[in-house]
Amino acid sequence: MIILFKHTVRFVLFLLAQALLFNQIELGWGIHPMIYPLFILLLPYNMNVFLSMLVAFALGIGIDSISNTYGLHASAAVLLAYLRPMIFSVFEPRDGYEEGLEMNIYSMDFMWLLYVFGLMLIVHHLWFFTLELFKFNEILFILKKTILSVPVSLILCILIQVIFVKKTGDRS
Amino acid sequence: MRNLIEFFKRFQVFLVFAALQGVALSTYFTSMSFPRSQYLTSASKVNGEILSWKYEFTKHFNLAYNNTRLQKANIRLRETQPGSFIRLQYGLVKIDDTLYKQQYEYMPATVINSTFDKRNNYFTLNVGSAQGIERDMGVFSDYGIVGVVHNVSEHFSVVKSVLTEAINIDVMMESSEAHGLLKWDGKDARVGSISGISNDMRIKKWDRIVTRGGSGIFPKGIPVGKVSRIGSIEGLPLWDISVLFSEDYRRIQRVYVVRNLLKKEQEKIESLIPVDKEETTR
Repeated sequence: MIILFKHTVRFVLFLLAQALLFNQIELGWGIHPMIYPLFILLLPYNMNVFLSMLVAFALGIGIDSISNTYGLHASAAVLLAYLRPMIFSVFEPRDGYEEGLEMNIYSMDFMWLLYVFGLMLIVHHLWFFTLELFKFNEILFILKKTILSVPVSLILCILIQVIFVKKTGDRS
Repeated sequence: MRNLIEFFKRFQVFLVFAALQGVALSTYFTSMSFPRSQYLTSASKVNGEILSWKYEFTKHFNLAYNNTRLQKANIRLRETQPGSFIRLQYGLVKIDDTLYKQQYEYMPATVINSTFDKRNNYFTLNVGSAQGIERDMGVFSDYGIVGVVHNVSEHFSVVKSVLTEAINIDVMMESSEAHGLLKWDGKDARVGSISGISNDMRIKKWDRIVTRGGSGIFPKGIPVGKVSRIGSIEGLPLWDISVLFSEDYRRIQRVYVVRNLLKKEQEKIESLIPVDKEETTR
């Protein structure tokens, strides 16, 4: 029950933060920081993949409806939720994951987090920018946007965990 | 049959994934040109409220800039008032005649949400159908055009701004009246481009570009920007013209919505043009 409440609050906070703050700031050079992939990463490890795809879809549609992108964020978020179990199983540690564990910066190895989350962000951003621009001759611009945005998003997501996630795993 | 069930069981995760992607992508690719409903846009009631609440905080950021601009616009208008002129010639009387009939009405509005560095940038206005806003009305500011109303709810509306892919506003050079379509390449919020001007027209750098007023969305002569670069397209007899927008879309707050009182009449008479057979078969 507490876990459900925690993730609902997070859902709302990530939605509003992405739509009202991070979709509005301009850093130049086509950088578009996106932090809501962190919400999908922080969902419980053994969550049903159907449920996590539906939650991701709802989060994406919420962000889309405020920033008028009509399904773009939803598509990228669903892709991420779909790939999440596969990426987790590829990077599984030798003795497996703990049951019901939350994958945050304290419970996991830092290098593990960097690899897994970097990969997830690259896939997500590439998918998002490809759909957003959707032209073959813009491929260099798509790659430039992805290469520049992924580090910014990654740093932001690590900072958010450092600031807001307590060592026990609860959000303050 | 059993194989089929087996197949669905095996690929059920992928099928749900594909279904969700289908929903998301079909709304994304159709809404660009035909908005199906207002519920998934920032014009919807809940999102409009959230954005007005956000605007209460962010409106102060560019307040000084926008106030100065309004003041300048006021000065410009005041200078055209009869009170600012000395009468040089007596005996001429202006009569309120029937030669002129009002065609355009303007409504003030405030931009409560906007982006400028995405591929397609939409602005949300704090006026809606209750204030008489309808789809396909033009929006402009003191310094230049802003966009076309895309979606309307009761108290909010979404504007497809100049900074979108398929904006295609018809514009012309102020000096030569050569006209083309305004486009945006998705990179720099200050620079657009014009396509469709034949390269035998003479165009100078820093020529002013204004709206043409052909489709009845904007009145004629609303500023758009200035020519910043002229190039040629290989293999086509057309100029490739870059436009430096006269409006800074990154700080825009106060805009006007255009209502064309004669639009129905124009549409009615234009719908009587017979469809060109060659054009449809091509």
